[in-house]
Amino acid sequence: MTLFDVVFKGNDAVYGLTEQAIDAAIEKHGADKAVAFPDTAYSLPCYYGVTGTKVGNLGELKTALGVVKTLMTRNPRLHDGFMSGIATALCAEFIEVLKYIDGAAPYEAPCYGHLADAVIRELGVPLVTGDIPGVAVILGAAPTAQEGVDLIKSYQAQGILVTLVGGIIDQCEELGYKTGANVRVIPLGKDVTAVIHVVSVAVRAALIFGNIQGGDAAGLMKYTFERVPAFVNAFAPLDEVIVACGAGAIALGFPVITNEETFRVPKSLIVQKDVSKFNATSLEARDIKIKITNIDIPVAFASAFEGEIIRRGDMQVEFDGSRVDCFELVQTKEASEIEDHKIEVFGPDIDEMPVGSKQSIGYIVEVAGKSMQTDFEPVFERKFHSYLNCVEGMMHTGQRDMIRIRLSKDTYNAGFRLKHIGEVLYAKVKSEFAAVVDKCQVKVYSIAEDCTKLRHELAIPAFDKRDERLTSLTDESVGVYYSCIMCQAFSPSHVCVVTPERLGLCGAVSWLDAKATNELDPQGPCQVITKEKIIDERIGEYEDVNDAVRKFSQGALDDVSLYSIIEKPMTSCGCFECICGIEPLSNGVCIANREYAGMTPIGMTFSELASMTGGGVQTPGFMGHGKHFISSKKFMKAEGGVARIVWMPKELKETVAERLNATAKELYNIDNFVDMIGDETVAEDPETLLAFLEEKGHPALTMEPMM
Amino acid sequence: MPFTAKSGKFNASINTLTIGTGDKAITLGGENVLPFYTFDAPIENAPKVGIEITDGGMENEPECIQKCYEGCTTVVDMAKAAAAMEGVEFLSLRLEGGDPNGLNKSTEELVQIVKDVAAAVDLPLVVCGCKNVEKDAELLSKAAEALDGRNALLLAAKEENYKTVGAAAGLAYKQVVGAESSVDINLAKQLNVLLSQLGVNGQSIAMNIGTASAGYGFEYVISTMDRIKAAALSQNDATLQMPIITPVASEVWGVKEAVASEADMPEWGPAEERGIDMEIETAAADLVSGSNAVILRHPASVVTISKLIKELV
Repeated sequence: MTLFDVVFKGNDAVYGLTEQAIDAAIEKHGADKAVAFPDTAYSLPCYYGVTGTKVGNLGELKTALGVVKTLMTRNPRLHDGFMSGIATALCAEFIEVLKYIDGAAPYEAPCYGHLADAVIRELGVPLVTGDIPGVAVILGAAPTAQEGVDLIKSYQAQGILVTLVGGIIDQCEELGYKTGANVRVIPLGKDVTAVIHVVSVAVRAALIFGNIQGGDAAGLMKYTFERVPAFVNAFAPLDEVIVACGAGAIALGFPVITNEETFRVPKSLIVQKDVSKFNATSLEARDIKIKITNIDIPVAFASAFEGEIIRRGDMQVEFDGSRVDCFELVQTKEASEIEDHKIEVFGPDIDEMPVGSKQSIGYIVEVAGKSMQTDFEPVFERKFHSYLNCVEGMMHTGQRDMIRIRLSKDTYNAGFRLKHIGEVLYAKVKSEFAAVVDKCQVKVYSIAEDCTKLRHELAIPAFDKRDERLTSLTDESVGVYYSCIMCQAFSPSHVCVVTPERLGLCGAVSWLDAKATNELDPQGPCQVITKEKIIDERIGEYEDVNDAVRKFSQGALDDVSLYSIIEKPMTSCGCFECICGIEPLSNGVCIANREYAGMTPIGMTFSELASMTGGGVQTPGFMGHGKHFISSKKFMKAEGGVARIVWMPKELKETVAERLNATAKELYNIDNFVDMIGDETVAEDPETLLAFLEEKGHPALTMEPMM
Repeated sequence: MPFTAKSGKFNASINTLTIGTGDKAITLGGENVLPFYTFDAPIENAPKVGIEITDGGMENEPECIQKCYEGCTTVVDMAKAAAAMEGVEFLSLRLEGGDPNGLNKSTEELVQIVKDVAAAVDLPLVVCGCKNVEKDAELLSKAAEALDGRNALLLAAKEENYKTVGAAAGLAYKQVVGAESSVDINLAKQLNVLLSQLGVNGQSIAMNIGTASAGYGFEYVISTMDRIKAAALSQNDATLQMPIITPVASEVWGVKEAVASEADMPEWGPAEERGIDMEIETAAADLVSGSNAVILRHPASVVTISKLIKELV
């Protein structure tokens, strides 16, 4: 027998029962007898939702049954299976509504039966906000009462609303487990048809909250699939009726998880033999993410502790990457490789480390998620510094394999151990990156040999790979750029166009950062800019980029180039790390960084330059930019590139020397280009600078005039 | 060469939004021109003026305002008196007593006041929270429930609590949802988008883009309003076409120019006059910058601003 046969058979059985029940009711009460669920504006909500018809009396109910029959087509196709499932659910609703004839109260405590509209409005708000992250429908009796109650408890702990149908209700009573709406465990009824009362909740949620009109069956199913995070846990044994009901649930988008060996339908009908894993399997199947509100550590966690210094004397133990092997790493894994919230410590804990000693540590945060990308790994990793610093009595510096962590004696005495590092990282990564991280587990290593091995065999190759990716990222190799309008609060018309080779002028937003920001906050400040319609390759002007800039500046800017300081230069907000301005005498540009307080050969200090350059207006001849941009091959590409740089403060020169030299070598085959660039020790006026440049044979002197 | 005037009428317009029910319902927005540019195209719905009372009743008011409510003892009395005042087109009830850092009144107590006021007046209602995002989520949700059928404006959902306020006010009870951001066009836009994604109909959103008293960073408010109206009209940006409502009273009556007594500041002149002046100046500037409604406190300000609007539209 195929799954379709089972569904069809179950559907036929329920249909037969329903027909009998309606006929019997008509015989007893007459066809004009009013019939409807109490306290709802939708009469029979499921039937109304699917067809748009409000049933008023038994005669109409009989007619409605005829409509249901038309859904029961029998081709062995998915659609027929789903529709028969829906038909089964509607039959269940008909059977249930008959129980309410004459204002009867068919359900008594602890069972609720039909739920009023008012309850749905009340439940609807936390469902929409995610305060109730999901709705579990538990059907049948668990293998043992204890397993059943444990499952319910696990859902309660996550804030999930639990509804019970059938044997599980008796099992709760057997163990004296408290149920009721106030504890978010709602026993519906002991007959399998009572399951319709939770379906009714989902349908009315769509009608009330989704503004779905009755009769819009497709819209209804789309809404329940996308917005009602319900799932079914059906305990063995499953009969045909349950399977048919299950098909109805699946049609609404609710996966069914069962411990019976039965047909498997990927993502929809899932067999999980181990009842203790029902919770995890269900959440994964329905893509439910549980909000993490507290971090399970014995000391406080707050940004107030971020700047805390742990002195040697107060220190219980130190992990020092500059002396021994340490590292921190984020790795993307397959969902099946990760057990959410698993924290493992390999090696001795802090108790076994001598007070004041230097130790090795390595921790790997493994994440999985449908929208996770390896490009986000460094973005998460860079946050570890701030996460661990927020722990009271913990100091973290550095990154990658150059980290240093100190833990205070007080924090150790409060009970802080290595696993708590895992707890902090788990909780923060899961909550701050919920948009992309579905599952997360942490491994902490404290044996020196393990750390050495993992550092060299796992971490360093991973870092190298990332660096390689960064250097291979060019403006040409990517499909899109990103806007960044984080600064518009105080510079209303400024828009940064962030490209792999031109990071934001603040220096804080690289193309990868912008990409991650966009993914994590799709409505946020970083939006995708396509780059399909090139206007002028030389200065880097695109039609799409211009459109985006016009839109994001609310019409204040019409066009920008990415690579020119003279023609349509990109605007600046005011957060620039550096400002570059034309120095006419030497036919080049001077760059001043924010930290430099002295005079430049342009005749202006950084602050004076800033007042010319900021405010979101285009000032040809001046440009704000990040430090990293200085060594980019796209730096002033339109005007000849980095060869135009004639002056930089000494400190800035030293910071960028290595990479700038490499760029100059590659572009012009000039060795030690940085030595040709003047600084404040050489000159603060154009004439002296020119003499210096002539002496060095600076390439700018022989280039085409800039203006 | 003769001068030919060019109409500054736009192809886009501000959403039309009705608050309240029945004869007294008010309609905001609908214009396709800049504020008060009636010479470019007629403005069908003139900006509206509302009056604000708080759950604190008489004790909460400055002396000069207490005078205007003489004989009132309860909040309901004040609501009735306010509703009868000249120029008042809607009533705003600010539940500031709910602030956990202040009186921390219970939600039940405050919602009862909302119910009592709603029963006593038939004017369109605006319910403002206590400015604590967590408490407001609860307070405004319950107020939305209590005002079922009144088509009231809940002011406001913010980025931190928009889901709760939006779901309760906009989805469950079909009220008008206020969207409050802090003087930034992008944040205003983002909140409107988020509310729409939640399922709230963009046509039933009013924006409070953030406000200030004149002289207190007010230029940011004005430029933000300018830019929002420009984006809504000239760029046809549907995510910014919601009418703007500006709660002037709660800002103005907190600054020293409005509240310092004459005894403390003799050189500033009579306190009441100053308060009214501040309120009128702020409200007038908000209106010409794009507010479709203002909420005021002093009955004299209400009269003056209504007159101003009547003269201009």
